[in-house]
Amino acid sequence: MEKRVGIVPWFFAAMVMLFGVNTAVGAEPNAQTAGQPATMAAPTITLDKTEINNGGTIKVSGQAPAGKPVYLEVYADERDVRANRFDADPDKDTGKRPYIFYLTGEMPAYYKIFVPKTMKPVLEEEKKLGNKWSYSKLLKDLGADVAYSAPAKINIERYQSTLMASVIGSRGDLLPAMDEKQTRSRSMQLVKARFRSIGNVFAPEVDIKPDGSYTAELKIRDGIAPGKYKIVAVVDKTAKSEAMTFENKIAFPIMYLPNAGTSMNLIYPFFLTLAVAIFGVLMGAGGGFIMNPLLLALFPALPHTVVAGTVTPTVLFSQGSGIFNYSKINFISWKLGCGIGCAMLLGGFIGPKLTEMITLAQFKFAFGWILLVLAALMLWQTTPGYLAKNKKEQSILKEFKKRAEESAKGKK
Amino acid sequence: MKVEFWGQEFKVNMVVGCIGGFLIAIMSSMFGFGGGPFMVPLMTVALRLPMYLVVGSSLLAIFFNTSVSSMRHYQFGNFDLIFFLAMFPAAILGGYIAPQIAKRVSPLVVKRIACVGLVVLALNLLGVY
Repeated sequence: MEKRVGIVPWFFAAMVMLFGVNTAVGAEPNAQTAGQPATMAAPTITLDKTEINNGGTIKVSGQAPAGKPVYLEVYADERDVRANRFDADPDKDTGKRPYIFYLTGEMPAYYKIFVPKTMKPVLEEEKKLGNKWSYSKLLKDLGADVAYSAPAKINIERYQSTLMASVIGSRGDLLPAMDEKQTRSRSMQLVKARFRSIGNVFAPEVDIKPDGSYTAELKIRDGIAPGKYKIVAVVDKTAKSEAMTFENKIAFPIMYLPNAGTSMNLIYPFFLTLAVAIFGVLMGAGGGFIMNPLLLALFPALPHTVVAGTVTPTVLFSQGSGIFNYSKINFISWKLGCGIGCAMLLGGFIGPKLTEMITLAQFKFAFGWILLVLAALMLWQTTPGYLAKNKKEQSILKEFKKRAEESAKGKK
Repeated sequence: MKVEFWGQEFKVNMVVGCIGGFLIAIMSSMFGFGGGPFMVPLMTVALRLPMYLVVGSSLLAIFFNTSVSSMRHYQFGNFDLIFFLAMFPAAILGGYIAPQIAKRVSPLVVKRIACVGLVVLALNLLGVY
């Protein structure tokens, strides 16, 4: 009986939809909407192509009810990435800092909502806030929260961090899972934590005519994950088009970095590392502290955690071979090295967890100051007083090294 | 603590050494660099050890830090294999090429260039420009 009643509004919906829209017929009635009287017809959607090569432009057009804003939700369907956020902002009511660490591995590798062109001022206004912009507020202001669906149901883990847990380098206690509503609102914060800038998650590109037909040129940025993407046109919570699929293709030397969640031309980091490594050896230091900020500055799409986590092991080999060479001529004090090494072991255990807990802005700020200190150290090492002392030291160093090498040969 | 090295004995203040090493290790593992440029001044200036003792031993100390922090970064999923494979061969290649060039350039000039480069990078990170 109920089913029969449900058909009537759907009939109405079909009538409202304009004829002449060639492909894609409106959304299929799903279980939820079938029983209720539909207030609006689902929009239609067509794409001009189904394939792009490492980004590109896709023209989308379709028909929606007249006078309604149309949102296009675009997301990577196959690739997920990690997103995390450390919540240490004081609670609005109690003023207490929650210190909860939110983590998900199911964030779509690409997520963007294209909104009507007329909403550009709203976006511009929020951009003025700099880093302090709020994703959930923007969704609401733009009315785009009806389109927000793909990341809304991701699985989010949350951990209660304590000072003690940080000291032993753990994430803290796993808290019970959140309900649907909480997950939805927390996922919005994670979207911001992952994609960072407004331009990455919103673009005013949808051009809507008074009769309800719309067109949009979706500029899909390069450096995103390969694979299948979905586009859904949304007018209202119940009025969504069917999901259209397009595919992003990339070819070597551009490769997808699964943990970083971006694809990039691997030739750049290769030559960058080569240059930095040579320079580092000439300077008498590992190149890590040059490599990291350079990567961050040149490839803003890379998350800082991945940059730090991947650069660290690359210097392991050169350090190991250095130790091996020194140990051959017995030029290492094992007692001193291991003694201080044990303290550094503890520090190295804690550090990587802290990387995860800070935002990119904090990372850049702290690193900036570290580099300034380092530059000051370097400058001090070029002052005449230091050089004179260093010359003496270096000659003693050479003398001892020579002796060590000779004695090592003698043993053989 | 007393350390013997090539017939000479050095007194090392391990409390300062360990606290300094610990802090440097947190910092360097957090931001993903080796820590050498900080360790060498710590050991030569704060601990008053001669250069010839420091070069090898600081490398050993840093190696502890780097291996553990690599492991931890891997554990937290911060390690990207493909990215690593793009950088790793270049790092080794650089290690072979550098000594060939080293004889021809003065370390002083390199350090001054590095100095300017670091300030530029720092200001970039701090968002000054």
